[in-house]
Amino acid sequence: MEQILANGLYLGAQYALIALGLTLIFSLMNVLNFAHGQMYVFGGFVTYTIVAQWGMPFIVGLIASAVMLAVMGALIEVFLFRPVIRKSKRDESTMLLAAGIAFFLDAVILLLFGEKQRGVPKIVNGVFNWDMRLIMPYDRILIGVLAIAIIAGFIALMQYSKTGRAMRALAQDRVAAQLMGVDVDRYSMIGFALGAMLAGLVGGLLVTITGVNLGMGGPTSVKAFMMIMIGGAGVISGAIAGGFILGMMESIGLTVLAVYGDITYLAIFASLMVFLAFRPQGLMGKPWG
Amino acid sequence: MLRRTLLKTTALAAVASFAMLGTAFAENPVLKIGFVGVTSGPAAAWGTSNQRSMETRAAWINETGGYDIAGTKYDVQIISFDDQKDPKRAIAGMEQMAQEGIHYVVGPNVDDGAAAVRPVAEQNAIMYFPYAFPKELYTAPASNAVLGMVANYQSGPAIYKYLMDNNGVKKVAFVAANESDPLSQRDSGSAAAKALGLEVVSDSVTYQVDTTDFTPVLLPVIQAAPDLLVLSGVSPANAPQLIRSARELGFAGLISTETAQDAAVLQEGAGELANGFISVGGASTPELASDMMKEFVDRYTKMFGEYNDESNTKVYALEYILATIAANPAALDNVDEFKATMDTFEAPNPYMVGDAKLKYVGMTSFGQKRQVSVPLVVNTFKDGKFETLFVAQVD
Amino acid sequence: MNKQFLGLGAFLLAVFVLVPVLIAASGRWDLYYTLTSVALLAIGSAGVWLTFYIGRINIGQGAYALMGGYVSAVLMTQVGVSFWLTLPAAGLFCAMISVLIGLPILRLRGVYFAMITLVLTEVTRLSALALSVTNGAKGITSIPLPGALKIFGITIIPDFATMANPKLAFYLLAVTLMVLSYAALWRIVNSRLGHLCRSLQQNEELAASIGVNTAYLRVLAYAISSFFGGLSGAVFVAISQSIYPSSFAVTDSVNFMLYCFVGGLGFVAGPMLGTFLLYFGWDLLSVASEYQLLIYSSAMIALMLVLPNGVLSLFDKKGGQK
Repeated sequence: MEQILANGLYLGAQYALIALGLTLIFSLMNVLNFAHGQMYVFGGFVTYTIVAQWGMPFIVGLIASAVMLAVMGALIEVFLFRPVIRKSKRDESTMLLAAGIAFFLDAVILLLFGEKQRGVPKIVNGVFNWDMRLIMPYDRILIGVLAIAIIAGFIALMQYSKTGRAMRALAQDRVAAQLMGVDVDRYSMIGFALGAMLAGLVGGLLVTITGVNLGMGGPTSVKAFMMIMIGGAGVISGAIAGGFILGMMESIGLTVLAVYGDITYLAIFASLMVFLAFRPQGLMGKPWG
Repeated sequence: MLRRTLLKTTALAAVASFAMLGTAFAENPVLKIGFVGVTSGPAAAWGTSNQRSMETRAAWINETGGYDIAGTKYDVQIISFDDQKDPKRAIAGMEQMAQEGIHYVVGPNVDDGAAAVRPVAEQNAIMYFPYAFPKELYTAPASNAVLGMVANYQSGPAIYKYLMDNNGVKKVAFVAANESDPLSQRDSGSAAAKALGLEVVSDSVTYQVDTTDFTPVLLPVIQAAPDLLVLSGVSPANAPQLIRSARELGFAGLISTETAQDAAVLQEGAGELANGFISVGGASTPELASDMMKEFVDRYTKMFGEYNDESNTKVYALEYILATIAANPAALDNVDEFKATMDTFEAPNPYMVGDAKLKYVGMTSFGQKRQVSVPLVVNTFKDGKFETLFVAQVD
Repeated sequence: MNKQFLGLGAFLLAVFVLVPVLIAASGRWDLYYTLTSVALLAIGSAGVWLTFYIGRINIGQGAYALMGGYVSAVLMTQVGVSFWLTLPAAGLFCAMISVLIGLPILRLRGVYFAMITLVLTEVTRLSALALSVTNGAKGITSIPLPGALKIFGITIIPDFATMANPKLAFYLLAVTLMVLSYAALWRIVNSRLGHLCRSLQQNEELAASIGVNTAYLRVLAYAISSFFGGLSGAVFVAISQSIYPSSFAVTDSVNFMLYCFVGGLGFVAGPMLGTFLLYFGWDLLSVASEYQLLIYSSAMIALMLVLPNGVLSLFDKKGGQK
């Protein structure tokens, strides 16, 4: 039981971090960023290159991933999303753009980093073992703690900094925020950069545990979509809740339903659909996000 | 990584200029061989190692003056098509091969693609060499598919038997991704284990291929306390993570798979935790590799920057096609001649030391000779390298 | 009006006469399969387009294509029903399922609906893996080619297995179905139903307040959409003579949606053109080998920057800024 909960918590922490970036971008710009998973993969490969290929310390790789993805996010917002949002008649058109960017990043990742699975050596050795009831490798604990720290830092940023307040205002009501003198263009860019940076950070963190390969992007995006659906799209607390809930569901489901064969995910997906049928805006979302 | 790309580009440029030189001076006739498989997306590693093996070998042949078929030297040209692991695309790829007048195609890499291209291949007289295991592809009335490797229902029993005899394995557990290929392999593996008298303690646990944490997946399996954990049809991307999670959960038994793996990937992803991991490979371990195999690895590495051990099993298909055509030149554009030759064809295996032979097999599994005979080399992983555990033959 | 009929006539002439003649003349027989695929995928996209028309982003058409494919495959191999009967059966089965699924989920809007349909594709794949009627992971293979279609003893369509050129037959079948589907779509859009759907797209509450039965309309549109999805899946199965749980995946669902965007959401012919451009474009780019995806995605991004409202918005003279 302890083991199941610990697994769920660890999974939840990493999921929540992935969902945060996605929901931030969505709340600010109403863009469903299909390329989020690819950004995560890109971040992983950057850390891999710096740590495993160039032999630099892990923290350098992590920071490099964050910076690189933040810059990439800012550029994508300014040069791609901004003009398209301005010109298109329907909001949904940005989905095609996002999907195009996802394909583009897939292609770039294949050309730059190759098709193989990559991973960096363990950053901490050893396994925490509490009487066989709870087994958790130290590196997993470290990554879990780091993930939670980053989530906490992000929440603090959103709550207490000027940037955070401006972005929250923007998320609540774009027009009103603009009228109050918030520089919408600037904060959209910062928000997108921040969202992409979070994706890069998760990629950098997880490359030490799960490694990275170019196929992880799409499925990761889909998983992140599910988390923000559970919690409510565009709501920061919702994304965190969604991440932890999905993590727990997987951990419990995989243990309890294992004997029935491969139905765990079917059960998770189906219950998600039922849940949304009753509560269309997720746990904490505003109706019709 | 940049270095790799640079190397790759230079290598490609070099190949391109060689190719041009070749056409300008030698004026050999060109023999086109097709490849339809997955070279992008999650499973890119499978097809890429295929395609690169073929391109390496083709460049090598062309550089040394071409392949001799009935006194004529042929330059070998590889025509590749990326099916994105989509059976609908694979059909388009096969159609394109037919359009190019190609009669010999390597691929596709997965079950659904191999089944989908069957009608096209049969209508257009194309022999194809899939890396997919469903038996109906190779048993009559199907006759155009030739299994390009050892199937898991052939290698699995051999491995289990060996481990029963040598390591006292009694209880076995299976884990598979919830996709067609791995699930089918799990079912046949489990059946084979039962037939050998092993106790199957768990064969219902599956995982999504995009799983980022395998601990919850493996928890119930490890609790069933098997002696041997079989990762059925595991992709090279998932293998190191599964091994790592299993070991970290305190699993001390053996871990094995029936698919080919890459040593570098295992080393990076699981490090010393992967020591003792049993997988099926080709003949590139130092004890078995011939000079030709070593040169192949060399050339591959030069051309693409990095070798992939999965290519050890994938070097053979092209060799078989060329050698069979050389044995019966009428097969150049007549696959019926090719099929007739398959029954009697035999040639030395250039990639392995000793007197191993290239020949077609499959009578036991398929009732007709529709499988290339590659040595069933079972490896264990040790400190970043593969070591040969044992070698067997499939009939 | 005359101009429209002229255009339609030219289109029909092109697909039924010109294409086969040109292919015969050039010897590019492989194009038949490519064009058949385009036609079939265009049918699926037509359905997605219709859900867009009621203001829903549908990323779940792959699910219905897979269902349709399985219905056709199971009926043919296990019950021995003729392929021609399984075609409408596949469509109707999907429409029925979509009513059941649609009743609850069509209450969702915007990205919520989009994401739940995305999950639906994965649910369908996993169900196909888990069920026994679908033969699970092993898929259904060796499905026979379409047999002869006879009405009152008169052969309307001969047995595909006896044909010298089944490729041409499949092409004609796919194109015919496509023309019929788009005719139906055009008819729907230009009927009272179409006007009501448009009112849903613009403001659902307002439409409901003036007495439009929005729930009924949504489910109806979604059912028609899924019918198209099932149809296209069933024909694909006949061509590949096999079906696996992975035959239609999340990628396909996303592609169906992209086809609509590229062509233009404001035009009935949009999805058809979008399918043609994206599918054919990918095939043409295969000469670029490893740079194929890079060029393809760059082109898609560029297209979005230049024509964010779809290719057909080029011809839309009334269209202005939003």
